[in-house]
Amino acid sequence: MSEDAADVQRVLSGDVDAYAKLVDRYYDRCARFAIRMLGNRDDAEDALQATFLRAYRALGRYQERDRFSAWLYRILVNQCRSIAARRSHRDRVFVREEALLLNAPDKRPTWTGEDEEFVQRVLNELDPLLREAFLLKYVEELSYEEMSALTGAGVSALKMRVKRACDRLRERWERIRDD
Amino acid sequence: MTDPEMDSYVEWIAREARRPVAVDPMAVQRVMAAVRAEAKPRRRGATWRWFLEPRPLSLSPAVGTALAAGLVGIGAFFGILRTDRGGQLDPTGRIEFVADSQPPFSDSVRTITFVLVAPHAATVSVVGDFNNWDAKATPMTRTPTGGRWSVNVPLRAGRHVYAFVLNGANGIQWVADPAAPLAPEDGLGAPNSVVLVGGSAS
Repeated sequence: MSEDAADVQRVLSGDVDAYAKLVDRYYDRCARFAIRMLGNRDDAEDALQATFLRAYRALGRYQERDRFSAWLYRILVNQCRSIAARRSHRDRVFVREEALLLNAPDKRPTWTGEDEEFVQRVLNELDPLLREAFLLKYVEELSYEEMSALTGAGVSALKMRVKRACDRLRERWERIRDD
Repeated sequence: MTDPEMDSYVEWIAREARRPVAVDPMAVQRVMAAVRAEAKPRRRGATWRWFLEPRPLSLSPAVGTALAAGLVGIGAFFGILRTDRGGQLDPTGRIEFVADSQPPFSDSVRTITFVLVAPHAATVSVVGDFNNWDAKATPMTRTPTGGRWSVNVPLRAGRHVYAFVLNGANGIQWVADPAAPLAPEDGLGAPNSVVLVGGSAS
C-alpha cells in the first residue's frame, strides 16, 4: 500500500491528523498549479482551500487503484475552472488592463530581472484552456493520457492546445525580441 | 529536449513556471482548521456493506412470508420513484426531453436517470460535482438495441452541475446534456449542464 493510501485509510478510520500529512505532501505542488493557472495568490488560495476540503469530504469515494495525486489533481483542475468562471467578470477587467500594459512600449530587451512576475504575465496572456494544457504538460509534466483523464478532453484536442500555447509564447518572444 | 514544440524560449518559460512558489506557511493550517470543522468522511458503501454481508438469519415461515410481502412493496415504491431525465442527440435537431418530476425520496435523495443517445460512442459516462468529475466513477450502460445510454444516480436535493464524457472515434469528448439547461460558462469552453433535484431547473 502506498504512503498516500495508508494515510487515506487512517483518515477514514477517524484519524483527522493523517489528512494533514496528505495536505502537507501536496499543498506546494497544487499551489504552484493554482497560482500559475489563476494568476494571483488570493484566487489560488481559495481554489486550494476548496480542493482540499472537497477531497476530504469525498475521501470515502477515493479508490485505491487510482493514484491519490491524480484524484486530487482532478478536483484541483475543476476548482480552478469554477473559480475562473465565478470571477470571469473581474478577470475580463484584469485581462483588459493587462492588455493595455502589454501594448505599452516594452523596451526591455530580455526578461532579466523579475522572472517570476514576467512568466506569470506571459502565462496570463494565454487563453485559459491553452494555459491549463501548457501547465499540465510542461509544468506538471503529465502524459497526454493523464491530462485527458483530468480534463475530460481528448488527447488530440489537448495536443492541439499545447501546440497553440507554445505558438503564442513564441509569438510573444518574437514581439519582445523585435522591439 | 526532443519535443518539437519546445524551443529555448518555451523551455525557459516552462522551467521558470516549474519553480516552487512561495506559500503562506499558515495556509496548510487554515485548510486543516476548515477540515476539522467538517464531519468525518466515511468509506463509500460502508453502510451498504453491512447490509450486504452474509449473516445467518432464522425466521419462522409466517415472519418470512410477511417480510417477502414487504419487500415486494418496497420494490414497487422504488419503481414508482424512478423517473427519466435526459435527452437525445436527434439528427433532426429535435431534442427529446422528459421533465424531472420525481416524488420525494428518503432524506431528500432522489434517483435521477441520466440518458443520452450516442449510437457511435464506445463508452459514455456521466461526470459531475456528485462524483468529483471522475470519468470512471459513473459509467453509463448501453441498451442492447440502440445507441441509448443511461445510468441511475442517487442525488441529494439541490443544484448539480454535470456533463457526459463520450469515448468514440474522435477520442474523448466532453458534452453537455442536450435536454437540460446549461450551467453558466466556466470560461474554459467546457459545456456543463444543470439538474435541480427537488425543484425545476431554471
